[in-house]
Amino acid sequence: MTGSTILETTNLNLWYGQKQALIDISLHVPKNRVTALIGPSGCGKSTLLRCFNRMNDLIDSSRITGEILFNGSDIHDPRADVYAIREKIGMVFQKPNPFPKSIYENVAYGSRIHGVGDKKELDRIVEESLKGAALWDEVKDRLHEPAHSLSGGQQQRLCIARSLAVGPEVILMDEPCSALDPIATAKIEDLIIRLARDYTVVIVTHNMQQAARASDYTGFMYLGRLVEFDKTTKIFEDPGEELTENYITGRFG
Amino acid sequence: MAKGFSIRARCRNFGWPRDRGTSEIGRPVIGAERRFVDRAVGKLLFCAALAAIVAVFFIIVFLLRDGYQIVLETGLWDFLAGAEWNPTGRNPAYGVFPLITGTLQVMALAMVIAVPLSIGSAVFIAEIASPGMKSIIKPAIELLAGIPSVVYGFFGLILLTDWIRVAFDQPSGSSWLAGSILLAIMAIPTITSVAEDAISSVPREFKEGSLALGATHWQTIRRVIVPGALSGISAAIILGMGRAIGETMAVLMVTGNAAVIPDPIYDVFSPVRTLTGTLGIEMGEVAFGSTHYHALFGVAVVLLFITLAINSAARVITTRIQGTQGTARPIPSGRVTAAIRRSTPYRALTAAASRITHAASAPFGRLLPPRTSQRCAFLLISLSVAIVIAALGVILFEIVVNGAGAISWEFLTGSPRDLGRAGGIFPAIVGTFYLVGGALAVALPLGIATAVYLVEYTAETPLTRSIRAAVDLLNGTPSIVFGLFGFAFLVLFMGFGVSLIAGQITLGLMILPTIIRTTEEALRSIPGSLREGSYALGATKWQTISRVVLPPALPGILTGAILSIGRAAGETAPIMFTAAIFSSRFLPSSLTEPVMALPYHLFVLTTTVPGAATQSYGTAFVLLLLVLTIYLAAILVRRRYRRETVM
Repeated sequence: MTGSTILETTNLNLWYGQKQALIDISLHVPKNRVTALIGPSGCGKSTLLRCFNRMNDLIDSSRITGEILFNGSDIHDPRADVYAIREKIGMVFQKPNPFPKSIYENVAYGSRIHGVGDKKELDRIVEESLKGAALWDEVKDRLHEPAHSLSGGQQQRLCIARSLAVGPEVILMDEPCSALDPIATAKIEDLIIRLARDYTVVIVTHNMQQAARASDYTGFMYLGRLVEFDKTTKIFEDPGEELTENYITGRFG
Repeated sequence: MAKGFSIRARCRNFGWPRDRGTSEIGRPVIGAERRFVDRAVGKLLFCAALAAIVAVFFIIVFLLRDGYQIVLETGLWDFLAGAEWNPTGRNPAYGVFPLITGTLQVMALAMVIAVPLSIGSAVFIAEIASPGMKSIIKPAIELLAGIPSVVYGFFGLILLTDWIRVAFDQPSGSSWLAGSILLAIMAIPTITSVAEDAISSVPREFKEGSLALGATHWQTIRRVIVPGALSGISAAIILGMGRAIGETMAVLMVTGNAAVIPDPIYDVFSPVRTLTGTLGIEMGEVAFGSTHYHALFGVAVVLLFITLAINSAARVITTRIQGTQGTARPIPSGRVTAAIRRSTPYRALTAAASRITHAASAPFGRLLPPRTSQRCAFLLISLSVAIVIAALGVILFEIVVNGAGAISWEFLTGSPRDLGRAGGIFPAIVGTFYLVGGALAVALPLGIATAVYLVEYTAETPLTRSIRAAVDLLNGTPSIVFGLFGFAFLVLFMGFGVSLIAGQITLGLMILPTIIRTTEEALRSIPGSLREGSYALGATKWQTISRVVLPPALPGILTGAILSIGRAAGETAPIMFTAAIFSSRFLPSSLTEPVMALPYHLFVLTTTVPGAATQSYGTAFVLLLLVLTIYLAAILVRRRYRRETVM
């Protein structure tokens, strides 16, 4: 039942200065599914994630070869609009990073910068986004309090709501639960599964149970290479590579 | 797929020419207008930054070029090591050696007095004072850092020199000692507040770790907290040294200004003359392009090099101590502070802890039992606080009590008569506002734009590092050097004459480096994760800067700006040869006319007009009130926002 591919990389290589962080990565991310990237620290999974919305552009020393296609278009095409790419491919970071503004303004920010000025329209976007991130009921009575008054888990869901508000097709999540407690983590995992109905989610995680629980597809990365990519059940029950099996069973990592 | 966000429908679609087979083919490339704004702002900021940087380098090159002339005329050795400075004698001599020794002597003795008192006060505020006491003393001391130097000079001339003359039975109180005491009092607030910040930012865990080993509070302070804050404390001391060396007015008013090396060398009652004092005294009467003129530029260059040495020393010390102690102070690049924090933070603690346990386990290792030594130490610390408060209190008391009596409606709104012995100071008050307003109009837009450009648009390259070094150099450069530049370039070379505009530009250039640096720091303190969060939503650079970075940085920028206003309002040295006149009945009607200003009025009243004591006190009081109000505003702004926007 493999649906269509939304993101695709072909022979992707990336260097930070002299150091090669990604080696020859070819990968298809299926649409409306949750794809997990796992692997030991420093294997390049976050770097790969940051390639998809060109966040690596912000790092001066990075250099890239190969191709990344989003809906069939090359995101490095000179005519490509990097801001539009990021509008369509949202990102949630490891540590919640709400802006020092109110809850409402955090969610409305993205719409505002993309030109929505109408108050009613913004209200609606904020409400729907917060509902989409399963945060509405907890914050609807205090939308104008500072975002920093929220708990860590709530802040992370606020960041998810913030990225939903600009109407993305893909949401990239870089270890979104690593700074959270188990209960907050469970909530985010539920949310991820629900989000996959409308969005494509790519999640980087350290936590193998999380990958097993929440994802449809899993890629295992090691030392900058994509070792194996398959359905999550396959990776966890019958990995094709010995390296993957060793990592899954906790023999290193 | 039940709910399907309707938001999606209204957001513009992704796609561009050569789009291969999605449903979104043919939609226009988004954000053409946003991109245009983004690029235009980038170019604008670049131009402003370029202008500011050109100005900074121009000042430095201008001083070096004219200063180099004296080396050609007298030779480097005779200039630096010549034992006589006598530019107006029959056989003019241009040896700056006595001036250099004078500067160093005054500075050194001032530091001997100020450093122990300041560190004692800093430790007291950070560690010993109760929260209520701390909330009073700390802002009070910060506030005192803003007292204009001419006010200190006034106090020194009226009371301190007299006291020294009587108390030590000297023919004159104008001496090295008077200069040093005055400079010490001036430097104490600066050193104390910076050192206190450093001590307070030592992580709590260090302190708790030490106390948990059974160390007394004093042992913890001495072996864990102070070593942990050493880089900040050193920076504070160096900052104080810079302030002492750069001071012109106060020193000029009390040191006697004889260009001699004290004989014997430790004779603190001998008059001395400093480099800055020399510029302040001689600049106004020098002939353009003469040897004397070049010699003064030579003096300015010497000051520039001393500033450079102090800056480099500060940098070396802070980076080296950071390397070994790992106190959490952001390194210049600002992006990867976490790595440093992680790598070394516990070394200081563990080393100190092992020493404490070692000392505690050696039964006869110590002279005094820990509790007794703690009591003695705390007593000394409290004593130093008492001395500081007494010294500053006397100055304030003296000026407020005598000055308030001189205030009347006529004094505030009238023009001066009889050389300022009667009448009011209205033109001086307004003139000060004109000068400060003009300086801000020059420096604020340029400075903020430059900082934004440096932090947000450039990578850390050798070029940006050299720009930062140049800005730092000017930031630490004595204000009289700006006065010299303004006088030589704006007044003489550009032909502005002594005028409001020359003073405004001179003051503007003086505060420009401060505004650049404080804005830079405010911008750097905004975590990169916020910028990333904004970019990840598809924001452009300028959208990110204007909506995410600048709002939380604003209090920091504002504080820097307000402090600059205070400084510009209180400075005498940069305006006394560029803009200020004494005793004018009228306000300037154009930018090319000279103007009265409070600090200069006070200076001239005090030093050259006998029988104007009441008016002097009144002027000092008004100036003090004006500047301290500005500083108070800065402190309040910072406090208020610090509480509101905690990251």
